Amino acid sequence: MPLVRVQDLTVALPPGADRAKAVEDVSFEIARNRIVCIVGESGSGKSLTAHAVMGLLPRGVTATAGSILFDGVDLLKEPPEALRRRRGRDIAMIFQDPMAALNPVVAIGRQVTEQIRAHRAISESQALKQASEMLGQMGLKNVAGLLRAYPHQLSGGQRQRVMIAMALSLSPRLLIADEPTTALDVTTQAQILALIKRIQTEREMSVLLITHDFGVVADMADTVAVMRHGRVVESGDVKTVLGSPAHSYTRALIAAVPKGESRLGPPPQGLALMKVEGLTKRFRRGGLLSRAPVVTALDDVGLTLCRGETLGIVGESGSGKSTLARCVIRLLDPDAGQVWLDGADIAQMKEKNLRPLRRRIQMVFQDPFSSLNPRQRVGDIVIAGPRALGEDEARARARAADMLRLVGLNPETMNRFPHEFSGGQRQRIGLARALMLKPDVLIADEPVSALDVTVQAQVLKLLDDVRRQMNLAMLFITHDMRVAAEICHRVMVMRHGRVVECGPTSEIFANPATDYTKALLAAIPGRQAL
Amino acid sequence: MSSFLRHFFSRPTALFGFCIFAVILVIALAAPLIFSHGPFTIVGMPLLPPGAPGLVAGSDVLGRDMAIGLAYGARISLLVGVTSTLGAIGIGVLLGAVAGYYGGAVDDLLMRVTEFFQIIPTFVLLMVLVAFMEPSLASAVIGIALISWPQVARVVRGEFLSLRQREFVQAARVLGLSDASIIFTQILPNALSPIVVISSMMVGNAILTESALSFLGLGDPNLLSWGSMIGGSRSAMWVAWWTTVLPGLCIMVTVLALNFIGDGLNDALNPRRRR
Repeated sequence: MPLVRVQDLTVALPPGADRAKAVEDVSFEIARNRIVCIVGESGSGKSLTAHAVMGLLPRGVTATAGSILFDGVDLLKEPPEALRRRRGRDIAMIFQDPMAALNPVVAIGRQVTEQIRAHRAISESQALKQASEMLGQMGLKNVAGLLRAYPHQLSGGQRQRVMIAMALSLSPRLLIADEPTTALDVTTQAQILALIKRIQTEREMSVLLITHDFGVVADMADTVAVMRHGRVVESGDVKTVLGSPAHSYTRALIAAVPKGESRLGPPPQGLALMKVEGLTKRFRRGGLLSRAPVVTALDDVGLTLCRGETLGIVGESGSGKSTLARCVIRLLDPDAGQVWLDGADIAQMKEKNLRPLRRRIQMVFQDPFSSLNPRQRVGDIVIAGPRALGEDEARARARAADMLRLVGLNPETMNRFPHEFSGGQRQRIGLARALMLKPDVLIADEPVSALDVTVQAQVLKLLDDVRRQMNLAMLFITHDMRVAAEICHRVMVMRHGRVVECGPTSEIFANPATDYTKALLAAIPGRQAL
Repeated sequence: MSSFLRHFFSRPTALFGFCIFAVILVIALAAPLIFSHGPFTIVGMPLLPPGAPGLVAGSDVLGRDMAIGLAYGARISLLVGVTSTLGAIGIGVLLGAVAGYYGGAVDDLLMRVTEFFQIIPTFVLLMVLVAFMEPSLASAVIGIALISWPQVARVVRGEFLSLRQREFVQAARVLGLSDASIIFTQILPNALSPIVVISSMMVGNAILTESALSFLGLGDPNLLSWGSMIGGSRSAMWVAWWTTVLPGLCIMVTVLALNFIGDGLNDALNPRRRR
């Protein structure tokens, strides 16, 4: 008998939601001592399915049909009190954002022991001993110091390890992990996934892993269920599903995963359009009276960029890649260095002199939900730049209609508000806004990291097409090596505010010169399998 | 917009507050049409109780019709409440927006000025201001606006501090928009909800403050307001309760209605509170 058998599960959404049922007739099994992955795009119902198993559906959302048999007992029919005792003891869960899941004002030690003592009648000191053992097993160093620390003092990877330690402290038989590595850097992600796999084998537990990433599926899963619009479209053994997917949606999803191979030819030759030299930026933390340490976010960074070329800036969070973009486009003022644009240094230019030049460098932002003004109509958003330069409104609107068409949107969208669009559509609007000014340089700061993989592929293709058509020089910031391979002629790897190495994409991927780049490449999930 | 109205009116207190305020507003605006006399006309014996022939709300110490006084008083109270709030919003939004948008030294300077206004006893400051400017309608409005802008500035600054980090504001800078147009066309529309909420509450507060001023005789001597009606009749409080209680009730009900409206706006404009 499998540990968990989900049978015809249907979860209804409250009236007024965009669809009546979040999950419909979903059936799958979690065998003992196995890892099951549910993979799907946002809105597929994968997360709600996991929450239903945990008995933690949000208010107003209820399981209306089907059963969830855990060791033969239907969880949907269990009284709330029994279910509460089961959570943590039999089934434990870790979440995407460990910062949100930890209490920010309680020390780590208290949080771990509290969890243990809620289920077991043991003394504080015994619980503390058990907690430090658990944290040690999670590969955490300096456990004694960690127990006294607060969540904000830990790195993302450390927090997720603490969460896993808490989840495992009562030896549950099923661990549910809801996108446990989505908020983490790629190397940390690889470590956390390896940790989950290791403890799963050691403790012979079952794991239900929710993810959007087929790379993670390839590395982790024994069996996989692909979900779309609340239904399971395909499930089975991981090798079968990935090797010979039966459903067209699965095929499309797998095809959309960037393969981590350079697709573009050699970088175009030509005169440098933009040249950055010795760019340095320091951040001073603390207030007037505290002599807090100075953080060097950018340390003597240089690069050149030609017309028609895409340069990828890759690195983990905190590597300074976003600071670099913001210094180049002068959203931040660099402390030292030059940014030459056609022979003029804009790095130290006064805002007044800079304003007419701003047109030439434009930017596409990361977050499709905060990068468009929610109170403005799409048309007004797109023409704001040309209007500021004094372009006639009627003319700007006519151009905006063409531009929206170019980025693949219907010009009628001009009269609508941003919230009426999906993430991918919003990124297209953001791109149209940038292109309206006919820039020479386009900076794209993680433009696809918030998007589903199929939408991601479309937006990447659009960016590349636009780059070609308008002969743009593009600076593409990303933490995802696979995405960089897809769209960049050259790649610059950054770490701790410094350039680690820089070269043509195919060379960097084939022969990385530094250990750091090798580690980044090795951490790409599913590199061998996909 | 219709969903906003539906949320607003789905709260019984908001609906109640809105209706009460509408009635008061209509009476205030229509006072010259309803009554044939002005508020200072003596219509009969002094201190006649409510219900005396022709006098719904009785007469005051000088034999003037209380009902006419209350209706005309509403005009003054609402006028002072609304205009002084508009003034305070104007000052507060401007200073708060500049402080929040630019941050740094500008923010420090403007916030110290704001704190200066917040730490001195405001009513004492108001009395000094009004006495200095000669008591009149204008001086009351200016004085109340000058003591009530700091809380607007605080709220607006907070909103701007968080909104300026949003990517659409950075996008506007990259497009080359001027600071003024970023502040007024990009950020301010997104900060309107808390401003609307706070201003409905401020109108209520301003009415209370104006009443207190008039009670102390620092109101406009040529105009009748609810506060000056209470102040003028306080000697008769024990023999003719209606002369003080009725204007007091008017103040209470109006302020209560405005607070209900403010609560309702807060819930309707705050998407997280909506269910």
